[in-house]
Amino acid sequence: MQGLAMFVGGVLPYFAIGLFLIGMGYRIRVWIKTPQPGKMTIFPAPKSATRGILAEVFFFPSLFKGDRGLWAMSWTFHVTLVLVFLGHLRVVTGLIDSTLHSMGVSEAGVQWMSSTVGGIAGIVMLATGLALFFRRIYTVRAREVSSFSDFFALLLLLAIIVTGDLMRFAGSHFDLAQTRVWVASLLSFSPVVPHSGMFLVHALLGQILLMYIPFSKILHLGGIFFTQALVQRR
Amino acid sequence: MSHKEFSIGPIAVAQSSTAKHSVAERVEVINAISAIKNGPKVLKLYMETCAKCGTCASVCPIYYGSPDPNLNPARRSDLIRAIYKKHCTTSGKVLGGLVGARDYDEGELKSWVEHFYSCSGCRRCAVYCPFGIDNSVITRKGRAILDKLGLTPDKMKLVVDVSLKTGNTDNVGKEGFLAAIDFLEEEMRDEHGIEIKIPVDAVGAEYFYVPPSGDVLVNPEATTGVAKVFHVLGMGARWTMSSTCFDGANYGLFTGDDNAMKQDNKLYVEEAKRLGVKYMFMGECGHAYRIMKMMMEKGGWWGKLPFKVINCMEWTAEQIAAGRLEFDKSRNPQPVTYHDPCNFGRSCDITEAPREILKASCKEFREMYPNRGENWCCGGGGGLSAIDEILEFRMKVAGKKKVEQINETGARYVAAACSNCKRQLMQLTEYHKMEVAVGGVHDMLSRSILVDGKAAERTELE
Repeated sequence: MQGLAMFVGGVLPYFAIGLFLIGMGYRIRVWIKTPQPGKMTIFPAPKSATRGILAEVFFFPSLFKGDRGLWAMSWTFHVTLVLVFLGHLRVVTGLIDSTLHSMGVSEAGVQWMSSTVGGIAGIVMLATGLALFFRRIYTVRAREVSSFSDFFALLLLLAIIVTGDLMRFAGSHFDLAQTRVWVASLLSFSPVVPHSGMFLVHALLGQILLMYIPFSKILHLGGIFFTQALVQRR
Repeated sequence: MSHKEFSIGPIAVAQSSTAKHSVAERVEVINAISAIKNGPKVLKLYMETCAKCGTCASVCPIYYGSPDPNLNPARRSDLIRAIYKKHCTTSGKVLGGLVGARDYDEGELKSWVEHFYSCSGCRRCAVYCPFGIDNSVITRKGRAILDKLGLTPDKMKLVVDVSLKTGNTDNVGKEGFLAAIDFLEEEMRDEHGIEIKIPVDAVGAEYFYVPPSGDVLVNPEATTGVAKVFHVLGMGARWTMSSTCFDGANYGLFTGDDNAMKQDNKLYVEEAKRLGVKYMFMGECGHAYRIMKMMMEKGGWWGKLPFKVINCMEWTAEQIAAGRLEFDKSRNPQPVTYHDPCNFGRSCDITEAPREILKASCKEFREMYPNRGENWCCGGGGGLSAIDEILEFRMKVAGKKKVEQINETGARYVAAACSNCKRQLMQLTEYHKMEVAVGGVHDMLSRSILVDGKAAERTELE
């Protein structure tokens, strides 16, 4: 057990983050370098291409026009994903805490935000993630284009969400201080691995996700900037 | 998986590909797909970015007509995408199905004909896809692979070959064209009692009118409309047609054959140079204008050009806005609607000019919904309307939504600025026994424009 924990908490992180960065860097480099001889034009086009791309990235207006139900699920899912991601950054950096403090939020306020906003986001993300999963099963036009990889990506995310939620809502509460120690120890290349089993499972799944992203459909988190940039050109 | 037999046709096509045997065929296909690695960027991104959300299917006219899995756009695109993943990505090679990869099945190529010719290339999916993925680009890639191996549908191949040989898609020679022009001038003489010329091969003219040949031979009122506008403006000697280049249609766009497309295009560019015109004055043909404006001119295929590409509808709408044309709207009393051809609306942003012309020349204009860039395809796009053997598919499946849209307007005339749309729409109205006439935009103008204070005398009104 000790060896496994050491692998998940002390060895894999370097590999997972390295693979993620190299994989994404490689993809983005190739996307930038691949030639595009003709221009793509599609109308109605936004007046400003940059604003159009940002609108698509933040609000999914095309999807809103095309499939409102999916938009509601998908947009909520992605927004909570971003919120939760920002929350996780608190483990790595004190920047979010200090920014909130400088905005006049007290330490208790930050704690309240973490547990309330983070808690709600965790639940909403689980609900919309499940909705997306069942939509993929029960909506014919989505099911018939889904392969194992599409379900796998969702299941992996759901497993991460569930273990995360369990840490927040069940039994052994998540220990921010200890996690910060862990991250600091990783940064100084002398890993001190936490003992919580649930935490290690959550961390393992998260790292699998990180490694999976550059090679999977979740790549769309980077691809969207490029595909939208292509189609918005005039 | 997704390449099971299904039937939209069957489409008349060569018995087998030009490859010597199935192994060679497989190599050809995989090489063609692997080439995507080096671009164009748009195709490469489409290979890696789809989230398989199914939104393209929700907005696709074909899938609306028949929710057959084989007609689901993302699934059709996956025919190529999955093979790309298998052969061009490390993850696909190692993880296979885990990342959505699959290998090419020997012998499946023939089934691709029905797959890639059941997409009308209307690009509606690109408007609604959260990533802006334009499945028509993948469809065209699939067709290009088929074309390279000799599996382009017979009818389409014929049109491309005839066009390269004769300069027009109808296999009409110079004499036939001149006879048609004589007929049109005679018609206008009957209508207005005066001589309205259609100049031909006039070197030194400013405007080189390039319609689809259908607008000279089959639905010629669009051309008489243009002639009348020039006449009324006193510009009758400043435009010309060409007796060798009178058809902007260019089916290389539809078969995926870039060489044929550019060769065909070059004929027209050279002719414009020979005539010494200032404007390549494109007629009511969506894909012709798209190739000329968006691809040739913007892409700089032939370097710097001595002329500018413009469209007859925008030009006429400007004349109307400037108050230079007058109409007797009572000549067009029936409610009229406009079908935005995908290549004009979505691909070229020409949506207002045809409406301004129709509103100026008809008593009642009605919109169909949705419209402009979001309009539904007629079901004959991408060259499908030329394929006779899939008539039933086009009537029952591909054009289903269009029929509903037209019926909702209650209009008695559908204007479409595109010969392919017109053919499909005429067949649709006939097949579904709709009491709706189909024609062009300048057709309505031709019927109501005042020439010397008088509109055309028409013996029979449609």
